[in-house]
Amino acid sequence: MLEIRNLTKIYDDGTVALKNVSFTVPDGEFLVIIGLSGSGKSTLLRCINRLIDPTEGQILWNGVDLAQLEGEELRKVRRQIGMIFQHFNLVKRSSVLTNVLTGRLGYLPTWRSLTGRFPADDIQRAWQALERLGIADQAHKRADELSGGQQQRVGIARALMQDPKMILADEPVASLDPVLAHSILQRLESLNREDGITVLCSLHYLDLVQRYATRVIGLRQGELVYEGSREDIRQMTDAQFKEIYGEEAERIGAGGGITGSIQEDSVAGGAA
Amino acid sequence: MSLKHTVPEEPRAPSLVPPAVAALLSLLLPGLGQALARSLRRGLLLLFSFLTLGGLLAWRIRLAAPRDEGLVAITRKAFHLQPFLLFNAFLLLLLYLWIAWDAWQTARHAEGAPVGIFALVLIAFFAVGWQVGEIDPIRFVTQLDEAGPPLQRVLWPWERAIEHPQEVQIVSAPILSPCTGEPFEGGQPKEGEPYLLTEPTCGNPSQQDGTPGTTFTLRGFGLKPNSEAEIWWEDPIGNEFRQRQEGEYVTVQTDAQGNFEVQIVMPYRLLPPSAGEGPKIWTVEARQVVSTGQARASKELKLAVEKIIETIFIGMMATFFGILLALPVSFFAARNLMSASPFTLVIYYLTRAVLNIIRSIEPLIWAIIFVIVVGLGPFAGILALTVHSIAALGKLYSESIESIDPGPIEAIQATGANWVQTVRYAVVPQIVPPFVSFTIYRWDINIRMSTIIGFVGGGGIGFLLAQWIRLLDYRAAGIAVWFIAITVAILDYVSAEIRARFV
Repeated sequence: MLEIRNLTKIYDDGTVALKNVSFTVPDGEFLVIIGLSGSGKSTLLRCINRLIDPTEGQILWNGVDLAQLEGEELRKVRRQIGMIFQHFNLVKRSSVLTNVLTGRLGYLPTWRSLTGRFPADDIQRAWQALERLGIADQAHKRADELSGGQQQRVGIARALMQDPKMILADEPVASLDPVLAHSILQRLESLNREDGITVLCSLHYLDLVQRYATRVIGLRQGELVYEGSREDIRQMTDAQFKEIYGEEAERIGAGGGITGSIQEDSVAGGAA
Repeated sequence: MSLKHTVPEEPRAPSLVPPAVAALLSLLLPGLGQALARSLRRGLLLLFSFLTLGGLLAWRIRLAAPRDEGLVAITRKAFHLQPFLLFNAFLLLLLYLWIAWDAWQTARHAEGAPVGIFALVLIAFFAVGWQVGEIDPIRFVTQLDEAGPPLQRVLWPWERAIEHPQEVQIVSAPILSPCTGEPFEGGQPKEGEPYLLTEPTCGNPSQQDGTPGTTFTLRGFGLKPNSEAEIWWEDPIGNEFRQRQEGEYVTVQTDAQGNFEVQIVMPYRLLPPSAGEGPKIWTVEARQVVSTGQARASKELKLAVEKIIETIFIGMMATFFGILLALPVSFFAARNLMSASPFTLVIYYLTRAVLNIIRSIEPLIWAIIFVIVVGLGPFAGILALTVHSIAALGKLYSESIESIDPGPIEAIQATGANWVQTVRYAVVPQIVPPFVSFTIYRWDINIRMSTIIGFVGGGGIGFLLAQWIRLLDYRAAGIAVWFIAITVAILDYVSAEIRARFV
């Protein structure tokens, strides 16, 4: 269970990114965060794994306040929280396999990781992750040779290597086309349902939100302005959505009709 | 400036003077009419163009007739010697008239005036440039064939790359100078050996005023038959020189028995006072090539090989030192690392400024400076190239540090990796390929530069090349040119291959 209490973040230049945000996420939820660009979604996600230090407030995860952790303790918590990025954030010049293996760094002693040789166990695990995401045949390519959808799957595989209890996904499909967006979100959904990993994901499109979210929170200018259950969001109209979200919101397909019906591998193969 | 006038401007306020007056004023002072027609910038630009062109023309005319006096005489002489100046003068006159017409136009129309006049200004400058550059395509074409023979030697210099060692046999006889009245034993017959006899065995050298010296009858016996022999002298202080007669070197032909006979006049020779007074012994010699050995590498070829090796090492050492010093410097010159506080930002700007200044000075100039410091030789070249490499690599390295993608750093941190691991897996993979690429590129440049750094005494093959070109020894120079070309070509290929693998 993740509990955010009165979280506030003020950047050095005075920008207030988060204002007194509080909410709870029970284990196993697929929580979607909606809001305009600059509404504080990314800051919120990065505060949870402390890539950004919050100014005030508490982040209680299974009773531990993440906001107070430092050094070794912080890294031990971080390695249980996977993160997926809008721009994938892969090391472009390294191989896919190496990129996936970096997910294990939190479990490796420093001296061991310096040589660039990972334990056989971890390599085994990396192959399994790649297999699961359907990109095992790309393992020895350079990361930047892959298509966008494939790169994001490498990103998911990297997060998976951490044995995460929670995954933070910062607009994971914003740089992908609609078909690939569904493909990636289905991967996350399967991790959420089958492995019981809590997912916190920021999204832009109403039909994706309706299709995947089990709970939704809305941010506007750093403040929590909406909280709704799966049912609430299913019944939401475009007009309501735009009200919380802003005028930018739009649907990407006709009522989400293309969900899941397309074979991913053929899509990925076409893009590669 | 001229481009600005092609875009439609806001209509100007009406001219202060009527068109005719504007034209007249521009005749008085080019550009004045335009200025009063509320087009001040145009007027100033035309005035400065006209004055610059006029000044340049005056300078070139004076330069063409430096010894004449009086305006008319100078101008006439200059136009006579360099007819192209007439064309320049014509363009200037045309510009002068056009400026007046342009003033009339500008005063008449409130909208943007035509830009044709700026084309004329450009043409006038181009014509001056043509004259200043002494551009002469005709000379280039007509003298091309004269350059043929030396260029051929440069293109195929390999005759000079081998030589045959020759064994020279010297047969000599002593001669007393001047005669003392007592008999002097000159050359004596020898059994089984070649020998030289002279008649007489003493005499006087030729005088500086042209009085000929004693004529000797020189007879050689038992030399190599049917071959040439050169006649040489050795004066009392040991200097050797060839016998000349009527401007030609004296060469004799031996008969079937290896004998010859020739009349020679004792040559003029200025002896220093240190040689002392009184009779002295001279030696007359017959020199013959008696055998020719195996072909072997010539002195020039060996030198070229030695120096090209030196060249490659100059480039290598300079690159090595360059890398060592550029690495730390590049971190101070990377904005993303140095923008944390005003203090580090000052260091950043200082480093950048110093690097830019160093880089703007050519390695050849640095070499001249270091030759003054450490003297001629490869060390000066290494220092010069090192300094330039630090500046160039420092800039390239720091730019690749600046262009690091922060995304992967964030992602690796998010996996729970510590600082060392983050650097190892997110920073190093991004930095190493550009660093390697730039370094090899620099190595390539350094070796190319080290081939010419010798022109100013910085060691390497450039020194030989410069020397051989000045001695007009085009074959030897050709060997150096070939070595440079081969080295650079191989290096180009190798560095391209390595870089292709890293980037």
